[in-house]
Amino acid sequence: MSRVRRKRMHCNNKELHQKYKSKRRTKDLDQIQEDLKPENKQRLLSLPEDEDLPGLGQHYCVECSRYYVDERSLGEHNRGREHKRRVRDLKAPAYTQKEAEAAVGLVTDNGRALSTPAVGPLSLLSLKQKNDAVAAAKVASADRTMETE
Amino acid sequence: MRLEKCYFCSSTVYPGHGTMFVRNDGKSFRFCRSKCHRNFKMKRNPRKVRWTKAFRKAAGKEMAIDSTFEFEKRRNVPVRYDRDLMSTTIKAMKRVQEIRARRERAFFKQRMSGNKERERDLDIKEIQKSIHLISTPTIKAKEMQKAAAESSRQMDLD
Repeated sequence: MSRVRRKRMHCNNKELHQKYKSKRRTKDLDQIQEDLKPENKQRLLSLPEDEDLPGLGQHYCVECSRYYVDERSLGEHNRGREHKRRVRDLKAPAYTQKEAEAAVGLVTDNGRALSTPAVGPLSLLSLKQKNDAVAAAKVASADRTMETE
Repeated sequence: MRLEKCYFCSSTVYPGHGTMFVRNDGKSFRFCRSKCHRNFKMKRNPRKVRWTKAFRKAAGKEMAIDSTFEFEKRRNVPVRYDRDLMSTTIKAMKRVQEIRARRERAFFKQRMSGNKERERDLDIKEIQKSIHLISTPTIKAKEMQKAAAESSRQMDLD
């Protein structure tokens, strides 16, 4: 026999869970980078008073997308480790689906010149050259020690 | 059949597999498995997580520049169906795959070359550094003999 009905308990309330899950979801880095653009930042820093938000929504950290109760705690946060880490993370361009696809060699070629990726890509040839150079240096140093002996 | 790539680890997501998350601004993210989804929810950066394709490519763990990568690309040019062209393309795909696999193997070999010697050197160094920790009777006897010989020589000198 199949189950007739779940027991009506608070923990079984799926809607409630989904509600809080989406309510508590914080912004992603690419959204924050969008916020950091001057026109958006201006808007976020001069929001109308909202009594549902901490400190009426007047003390907002754009980088961390958090509201603070007063200017003092906002300043304290700005001096903290978490805020500094976030600022550092935001300097690099946000990760995108395009980058994920480029990592497996799926790129678009519309006849225009491609921009080469910035971080050290390796080809078989360059690796071989590097290894050969290391081996040659080793042999040379070994020869030198032989000569001194 | 549309094969998507996982947002986090760049592996292929087959129809009916994985999860899609749609953010409240309409942007969608596909994940191949709950591992990738969970890592995304933790707000980890795929560039810094060592098991993702993005990391491995950027850190030089895998071959990134090669002429075999030039073939497979989205070109956005309509091509009229041609039976001969299709068959030659499929033949070429197989051949390119073969060549790439061979080059990847060679790349791995090159990357790992010299590791054995390096490890052996490190091991020897460690043993020399902490030989006093080894307390087998033979080594201890040898050390004792050495010490005795040293002291007797000292005595002779005196």
